[in-house]
Amino acid sequence: MSALLEVRGISKTFDGFKAINDLSFSIGRAELRAVIGPNGAGKTTFMDIVTGKTTPDEGEVLWGTESRSLLKMNEAQIARAGVGRKFQRPTVFEDQSVADNLTMALRADRGPFAVLRWRPSDDSETRVAELAAEVGLSDQLPCKAGELSHGQKQWLEIGMLLAQEPQLLLVDEPAAGMTLAERELTTTLLCRLAETRAVVVVEHDMDFVRRLNCRVTVLHQGSVLAEGSLDHVTRNPEVIEVYLGR
Amino acid sequence: MQRTPFILRNPSVLIVIAVLAVFTAAVTAASAAYGTGVMPTSMVKVLGKTLCLALAAVAMDLVWGYLGILSLGQMAFFALGGYMIGQWLMYARTEGIVAASMAANPIPPTPAELQEGVAGQIFGVVGSTDLPWAWTFAHSLPAQLALVLIVPGLLALVFGWLAFRSRVNGVYLSILTQAMTLALALWLFQNDSGFRGNNGLSGLQNIPGLEDVGQARLSVWFLWASALALALGYVLAAWLMGGKFGSVTRAIRDDETRVRFLGYPVEGFKLAVFTIAAMITAIAGALYYPQAGIINPAELAPIASIYLAVWVAIGGRGRLYGAVIGAVVVSLLSSWFTGGRAPDLNIAGLRMAWVDWWQVALGLTFVLVTLFAPKGIAGLFDILNRKAKS
Repeated sequence: MSALLEVRGISKTFDGFKAINDLSFSIGRAELRAVIGPNGAGKTTFMDIVTGKTTPDEGEVLWGTESRSLLKMNEAQIARAGVGRKFQRPTVFEDQSVADNLTMALRADRGPFAVLRWRPSDDSETRVAELAAEVGLSDQLPCKAGELSHGQKQWLEIGMLLAQEPQLLLVDEPAAGMTLAERELTTTLLCRLAETRAVVVVEHDMDFVRRLNCRVTVLHQGSVLAEGSLDHVTRNPEVIEVYLGR
Repeated sequence: MQRTPFILRNPSVLIVIAVLAVFTAAVTAASAAYGTGVMPTSMVKVLGKTLCLALAAVAMDLVWGYLGILSLGQMAFFALGGYMIGQWLMYARTEGIVAASMAANPIPPTPAELQEGVAGQIFGVVGSTDLPWAWTFAHSLPAQLALVLIVPGLLALVFGWLAFRSRVNGVYLSILTQAMTLALALWLFQNDSGFRGNNGLSGLQNIPGLEDVGQARLSVWFLWASALALALGYVLAAWLMGGKFGSVTRAIRDDETRVRFLGYPVEGFKLAVFTIAAMITAIAGALYYPQAGIINPAELAPIASIYLAVWVAIGGRGRLYGAVIGAVVVSLLSSWFTGGRAPDLNIAGLRMAWVDWWQVALGLTFVLVTLFAPKGIAGLFDILNRKAKS
């Protein structure tokens, strides 16, 4: 199986602190993967590197069938290439309506002049309505995003990610601040999305990871400590040491 | 982004245009040239200039209220627009005078002699008789009109490209914009920069070819032109900010990083808005200075751009009509209070002259508005709307 994203031997040092240390990671085209690890294991830095927010000191990040390097691209170019990112804290544009938030995220030409010429169409409106229905915000379409509850904002952000139609979805702690019912919906949605694209979930919450029922990568001090099913990695003595030794 | 017509989505556009039309008609009816003459020509000029300032405020609102960049250098574009039109006004008028005086000579002057004569007239005051390179197109009205857009547009494009590309933001960007206008002012102050140093360009109220029209009529013509420019600028700004482009612009203001992760080239959007706003400001300046009659490098001082920001803040940023209201109300009040006609205050035996205290009052108002009414005067309309609905 050819990999969609292949990370090879990346390292990143911040003021002498090795946030990422010779990390290698790869994910297939339709796969759900959970990345776990204690605080400071390098989970967020890893996502920052893949999405172009941070440049690694060494190593390679290769993307797609043509194995293009992501390191020479900026955040916007990487996003356009098909990498979507969901932040831990819900970041939606609170001053604008749910419909406008979704419309902005819709897959379309992103250049300023193309955006200037862009007009709503039957297609775009149907798509926005579909997305809103998918994340349960149909009734909130005209509302300002700032008026939504915390959980609804999370959902809106997921809806915006779906609108981008990414091939790889990076999700940072999706369960944070969600109710039990919302968590279950999130689990179902992530599993379904992973049928057609790659999804990487960074999570603290072991319970949530167990529900995802997928391959798990354990990070520790900036490198991969173990990889496999959740049962497999939790039996690993090193993992037990790292998680319980603290 | 519903598919309703533009006007229905922006009811303020119709209201602003209606108010502007009524205002223009009223001033015309009161003017000496076309009406009863109740209003002196100087007052018509003040009102015409105010409309230009309102247009500059609309552009400022695009940059600050919608894009989120507190630019403290907007008046650089305003003054550059004035300088570009001023070059033609001054050159063409001087050319007329020089040609008339040379007509008495037995041999008619060659074009070179004529140009030399004009250069001597214009630049004698800074001790030069050569026409600087910057005046290459000064003889041509179409060329200078094009430069009104090209020069400020290019400056905004280059400055913006350098600043946005290195992701300078917030206060640092504000300081950079201020440095830009200050540097430009200092350069223009030099006698050898080619713009007559601190003398600036003068006599701009005399329009070549229209010497027989008279200031009374000219002032009304410029008022009409300024009102038309404000209306068109307002519609353009409302149209730009009404669609998806405006949506992305406001999103950049609120969370630039997130917009990047949506795949939008943030720098391109900033550059587009900043440059369009600079060109709108330049048009406002090109209409303002022929009414003011004179332009000099002091017009580019950072304080002028700060005033513009204060007007927009008091009027209500992030709303185009807020910018118009702020510019009109505050600039007219400023000229009234500093004009020496406002009655002095007597507080506990202390005599306070408004000329001295107006700045303090304005500064205090700015602080209070920023702290307690961040939506400015335009915020009052929200309250009225809410009351009307309930």
